[in-house]
Amino acid sequence: MSARITQNMLSLDLHNVTDKLSRTQRKISSGKELTAPSDDPFAASQALMLRQNVALDQQYQRNVAEAQSWQSVTDTALSNVTDAVLRVRDLVVQGASDTLGPQGRQAIANEVTQLIDSVKSAGNSQYAGRYVFSGSATLTQPYQLGANDAYGGNAEVVKREIGPGVQVDLNTVGQSTFGDDTSGLLKTLRDIVTDLNSGNTAALGNADLKAIDVAHDAVVNCRSVVGALSNRLDSAMSRLQQLQDASAKQLSDTEDADMAKTLVDFSTQQAVYQSALRAGANIIQPSLMDFLSG
Amino acid sequence: MPLSTFLGLETTLRGILAQQLALDVTGHNIANANTIGYSRQTAVMAPTDAYTVPGVTRPPQAGQLGTGVDVQSYQRMRDEFLDIQYRAQSMRQGSAQAAQDGLRQIEVAFNEPSDNGLNSQLQSYWASWHDVSNAPENLATRQALAQNAASLANGFQSLATQLQTVQTQVGQNVNDTISQVNAIGSQITQLTAAITADEVTGDKPNDLLDERDVLIDQLSKLGNISVTVGALDTIDITIGGATLVSGGAPQAAIAEADMTSLTSGKLNGLIGLRDTTIPGYQTSLNNLASTLITQTNAVHMGGFDLAGNLGGAFFNGTDAATISVNAALLTTPALIAASANGQPGNAGNALAMADMQQVAQAGLGGATIDTAYSQLVTQLGSDVRDATQTTDNANILSGSLDDKRQSVSGVSLDEEMTNLVKFQRGYQASSRALSAMDDMIDQLINRTGRVGL
Repeated sequence: MSARITQNMLSLDLHNVTDKLSRTQRKISSGKELTAPSDDPFAASQALMLRQNVALDQQYQRNVAEAQSWQSVTDTALSNVTDAVLRVRDLVVQGASDTLGPQGRQAIANEVTQLIDSVKSAGNSQYAGRYVFSGSATLTQPYQLGANDAYGGNAEVVKREIGPGVQVDLNTVGQSTFGDDTSGLLKTLRDIVTDLNSGNTAALGNADLKAIDVAHDAVVNCRSVVGALSNRLDSAMSRLQQLQDASAKQLSDTEDADMAKTLVDFSTQQAVYQSALRAGANIIQPSLMDFLSG
Repeated sequence: MPLSTFLGLETTLRGILAQQLALDVTGHNIANANTIGYSRQTAVMAPTDAYTVPGVTRPPQAGQLGTGVDVQSYQRMRDEFLDIQYRAQSMRQGSAQAAQDGLRQIEVAFNEPSDNGLNSQLQSYWASWHDVSNAPENLATRQALAQNAASLANGFQSLATQLQTVQTQVGQNVNDTISQVNAIGSQITQLTAAITADEVTGDKPNDLLDERDVLIDQLSKLGNISVTVGALDTIDITIGGATLVSGGAPQAAIAEADMTSLTSGKLNGLIGLRDTTIPGYQTSLNNLASTLITQTNAVHMGGFDLAGNLGGAFFNGTDAATISVNAALLTTPALIAASANGQPGNAGNALAMADMQQVAQAGLGGATIDTAYSQLVTQLGSDVRDATQTTDNANILSGSLDDKRQSVSGVSLDEEMTNLVKFQRGYQASSRALSAMDDMIDQLINRTGRVGL
């Protein structure tokens, strides 16, 4: 038996078509394929993970940039100290000469004393209000200018995280680089001043010269460590950028609407909607009443 | 041959009356073409009892003489089997639709994936700890951390509140729906009393039966019902195992506790949402918040603030509804314990906090805080999707079953127009037959025996 078609069977399923149209329209206006987790629960969880990855990669890049700035302050300070040490070496060679009188040596001693302050100033270098050579006592000035050579900071290593679980030792500890009143570069410089003042040319020409060479090597060594770390930070930065780009691209693939496809879908659905309306109008129109007279 | 002269008049009169009644029924059908739940009716015509012409000597006569037609009953065109099928889909649809409506509200509250959902707030929170680890001495970064932590806490609180609100609304909806069930139940009871009273006299109250079927259709959206029709169209209806209608006798209003075997319908969807689905989300969210609170506080209390003192609590509260940042940290960010040993440049504790993002938490079944949240969102998305698909599916099925029902019970105007023509012609022909008889009798009465007059 064929079905009787009756008055209330004109369910054209227009709801379904308009619902699809409005979803596509939402995609177009938001530019997003995923407007709610229920659109695609799996893709939504992926989108959340990728957003986490992108945010984390961006944060690690900030951490690396921060570490790079710190390193550049350290390197500048060490470069100044290297220059000062080389100048002191020249002065020691001059002072060791017997041709110089006590007054000449006094003048050299004065210059070395100035250079000691400039080394200590370098040791007091700050990055964003923090003393980079103070160990973890970053708010304490490591050296006092003048006669007191004591080191005010500590020897603790400051760490920065540049990747998941990857930490680098950021700081160069002042005490091991510049020494203090008992050892290291500052002690050597003080000894040189003492020897210059006392005219101890034998010590100047031999022990002091050797000591200043050792101190110079130590500073250069420090700079090479800083340089190596800078290289490591640079490569970490470019790797993080690549990771972020990859994650961001994946996120866009997961989350963003393919505009060309979405617009084509929209046109198709619109055509379907119009055809449904047209068909509906044509079904409703004719009736037997149109053909019966009287 | 003893046969009344006027028998033919009576026969044609019955024809006229019957055609008129059929026309009336057609008019009733057309008038109700768009009435919801109306089943088309037909006048069932049958020949009246034949007249056995008595013969002086039987049986040279032709036999029984027909005496015309009579409308015996008005039949309601309806297929009870389709009703049962339709109502079964309607129950499924009601349940899924209720679940879908509530879940969509929750989905909107979560607002994922987006730049301002809880996921983004979590990312800002972790990033703030990294920033503090980069500059633990800096009060501005500590202030930013305290603010981001506060907005994370707000995010948790607002989600908890929204879940609570939806749960309360759903609970209210359950009560309203039960009132609706009871109202429909008493309407059906009243209708049944009227129907039975009519049927006792032998009448079939078609329109009342239609009205009752509409009410049963409505009821089937609200809960799983079982319908038993007895003699004289009395009816027993149970909903979720509770007796709602028993014959025409008034029943006590049913309460939620009476429905012990609710398996589908709107009530089932709503109660499932209220008692299972939403509490499930709340548990997950509270787990997430309490894990964050306890783990963060444990690390924070083991660290040192900028002044070198041991840290206090970072978060107050115990779950998603009560989580908040320790107010002292917001006013005095120096109290944030970023250092692992009391040195201002040490960021060991801040790094431990930032690394908590990657730490699998035993309290979250081995997931990290981030992934546990993603899982919750995925669960919600799947639940909404399931409910939507079931709803769509049940809609399509119940739509097509309703079409089938309409195919049997609905009024076709073309058909009614045809009937109109048919019965009108029948009426005209019967009238014509009547005038033919009249002419004949006229001949007999007025012209017979007037030869030569």
